[in-house]
Amino acid sequence: MNRTIAPEIKTPDSIDLIDYQKIALDNGLPVYIINAGDEEIVKIDFVFEAGKWYEPKNLLADLVNRMMREGVKGKSAKEIADLFEFYGCNLESNVSFTNAGFQIYSLSKHLPHVLPLMMEILTQASFPEDEFSTILNNKKQKHTERLAKNDYVANRTFLSAMWGKEHPYGRVTEYGDFENVTTDMLRQYCTRYYNASNCFIVIAGKLNDELLKSLNTIFGISSWKGEKAPKDVAHIAAPLAEKRIHTDKKDAVQSTIMLGNASINRYHPDFDKLTVMNTVFGGYFGSRLMANIREDKGYTYGIHSALSSYQHGGILEISAEVGKEVSEATITEINNEIELMRNDLVDEDELDTVKNYLIGKLMRGVDGPMKYSDILKGQLLYGREPSYINKYLKTIEETTAEEVRELAVKYLNFDQMYKVTVG
Amino acid sequence: MIHFNELVLPNGLKILIHEDPSTPLAAVNILYKVGARDEDPNKTGFAHLFEHFMFEGSVNVPDFDTPLQFASGENNAFTSNDITNYYDILPASNLETAFWLESDRMLSLDFNLESLETQKKVVCEEFKEHYINQPYGDVWHKLSALAYKVHPYMWPTIGKDLSHVENAAMEDAKAFFFKYYRPRNAVMVVAGGIKTKEVERLAKKWFSDIPSGEIITHNLPKEPIQTEERILELHEDVPLNAIYKAYKMCDRMHPDYQASDFIRDMLSTGDSSRLYHELVKEKKIFSSVAAYLSETIDDGMFIVEGKLNPGINMDDADKAIVDCCVSLADSVSDNELQKVKNKTEAFLTFSDTNILNRAMNLAWYDMLGNAADVNTEIDKYLAVTKSQIKSVSDSIFDKNKCSTVRYFKK
Repeated sequence: MNRTIAPEIKTPDSIDLIDYQKIALDNGLPVYIINAGDEEIVKIDFVFEAGKWYEPKNLLADLVNRMMREGVKGKSAKEIADLFEFYGCNLESNVSFTNAGFQIYSLSKHLPHVLPLMMEILTQASFPEDEFSTILNNKKQKHTERLAKNDYVANRTFLSAMWGKEHPYGRVTEYGDFENVTTDMLRQYCTRYYNASNCFIVIAGKLNDELLKSLNTIFGISSWKGEKAPKDVAHIAAPLAEKRIHTDKKDAVQSTIMLGNASINRYHPDFDKLTVMNTVFGGYFGSRLMANIREDKGYTYGIHSALSSYQHGGILEISAEVGKEVSEATITEINNEIELMRNDLVDEDELDTVKNYLIGKLMRGVDGPMKYSDILKGQLLYGREPSYINKYLKTIEETTAEEVRELAVKYLNFDQMYKVTVG
Repeated sequence: MIHFNELVLPNGLKILIHEDPSTPLAAVNILYKVGARDEDPNKTGFAHLFEHFMFEGSVNVPDFDTPLQFASGENNAFTSNDITNYYDILPASNLETAFWLESDRMLSLDFNLESLETQKKVVCEEFKEHYINQPYGDVWHKLSALAYKVHPYMWPTIGKDLSHVENAAMEDAKAFFFKYYRPRNAVMVVAGGIKTKEVERLAKKWFSDIPSGEIITHNLPKEPIQTEERILELHEDVPLNAIYKAYKMCDRMHPDYQASDFIRDMLSTGDSSRLYHELVKEKKIFSSVAAYLSETIDDGMFIVEGKLNPGINMDDADKAIVDCCVSLADSVSDNELQKVKNKTEAFLTFSDTNILNRAMNLAWYDMLGNAADVNTEIDKYLAVTKSQIKSVSDSIFDKNKCSTVRYFKK
């Protein structure tokens, strides 16, 4: 046996996706159903158009979501938590720029107890003042804690420089924000956005007819229909002219580096191929940035570039924690790697590795109903069918070295990047 | 229920095989029975540094990551006090690539000096990123050194000091590899959309010719029973006053382990938990609290930490934690015990859905003594009684078995 020769590999050229079904509850609420898996478990995602994009005051979207479980008509925060936890149910909250909601992870057998309670949270939240002041205090303390971390400071600086402090993507938490939100604001926001007309549900796991019927009985009621809130809220970015921003921390042994700029999002036709370019550059363990700055120079434990897609824009960002003495050297190397991406063609072996890696990543992402529900949700938020995944796969496979270089020229521009350092 | 078959090669390598036809993926997990507890006290951090070195090329294959990524795979590893665990996840159709790569780095490494030097730098940056350049980043160093006086759990996995990592030498790497990274000291799990017969064929093909190595005895000193309260007060540049309390607790295989884990759960998991409800919500002493186990094989630590609200006195905060923990013993209701049983049942069922988790768990339970125990762990939890909670709680929350680190904001 010759151990220097790699075994043959076979890269799948399409991915088998789990079937799903779409129904509408009596009040119009769309429910996407992934009925699959062998374990008696269910994950339910309640997705509302209720993110930071729509909040009249900073922190409001986040606080509404947090406070909805802090008391409902007839039940205290402790009673709610006791009930969810007695049934072994994990209730997670999430708030992003445009969406907010809850995820339930439960054993199937406990759902008859869990679902009505979830509905109480969605419709009967009481926003008690004493709980509100505790939550505010704890969040403020967390803020103080985070401000002592260089990566948090760098991220704030980076986002507010890029979008301006009035824009939801650049509006960072300030101490004053904690004084500006009242429980009345929470109530109004909750009523306006947390209703069936601003919601969809994704449910995944081993499901039976009885459970599906109970969804309609509980969440399909007409009194919760509400009105669709307007989505066409506009915010104008006000980027800072100064691109190089340094915050000095004299005792730091490392510097946080963040480089990047506003970029395209998933709606843009270049986006999928740009993913290939970004992966080559800094999007996986074998990337150019990792090979040079970690594996060759040993400047950092990790350096990455990422494309973030939001509904109203995107961000391309490079970030790393590096030895304080090599902070400038790292920025120079990042620039060198950008130039290589812009000037030279990526060789075929490297490009094939990246394509195969991305296909593997996709396979892992859709493996099993629990993970697949996240992918399905992600596609729905961009108005797509999950079959788009196989289209994306084909796009990746067809990406050429010339296209990667063109995309680097178009989207990787060192001079246009904000360069934030803290350390 | 995780079904599996077992194969032991003549060189001593054990392979556990778990078929799951519902996934097109395969997970390959190799656990080496070596961790920071096996290190020389003057060369700490070595097991973890060595984990980095395992990716720097083996005797016949110059690079581990690239061929695996080319086969649509992803891989990583972690080092703990007790083990070093490597995993690959890739399409089942490319399973042999993982066998090729993993067997070659079990056979022998490239032992390239330049790579070792670079990884020493990378690990030093990791050390700085997580343990120096972070508020409270030094807590693990302080707490473990306070709690353990004899047992090697006295230093964290990253190492006692940056200089230990900087001074690591190639001779140490070679000796370490040929002692610990041998088939007899490893357990391999292959799980996912694979067939047992095929895995057996590949295992024999790729791993049979690796020399078996010596039988390792760990011979670790037993930590004497702690008999006095230990307190360390630190005045540092931290954002909030904070307290970390580490109580000594039983080892992983002790029959009290599951009850200890329930106590942790009752104290701090979820908004209904005791520490959160009483000390954050009701008394408003802390803005956050948590309790967790160090999860080590030998005698472990039951840790409680909290960040103090402004204006709260440190002694009062400390006492509040102690009171809350101590009062648990006599106040657990049937309902609360049932709650943590239900939570554990759900937690274990959800963690079983992931093929990689299943592979890692099989390897871990094999290391603990018997891979089949992975399927009976839940029964041990469900059998815990209120009187057991009381006796375990009384034995853990003994002032004289506690080590406390207090941070005062400068």
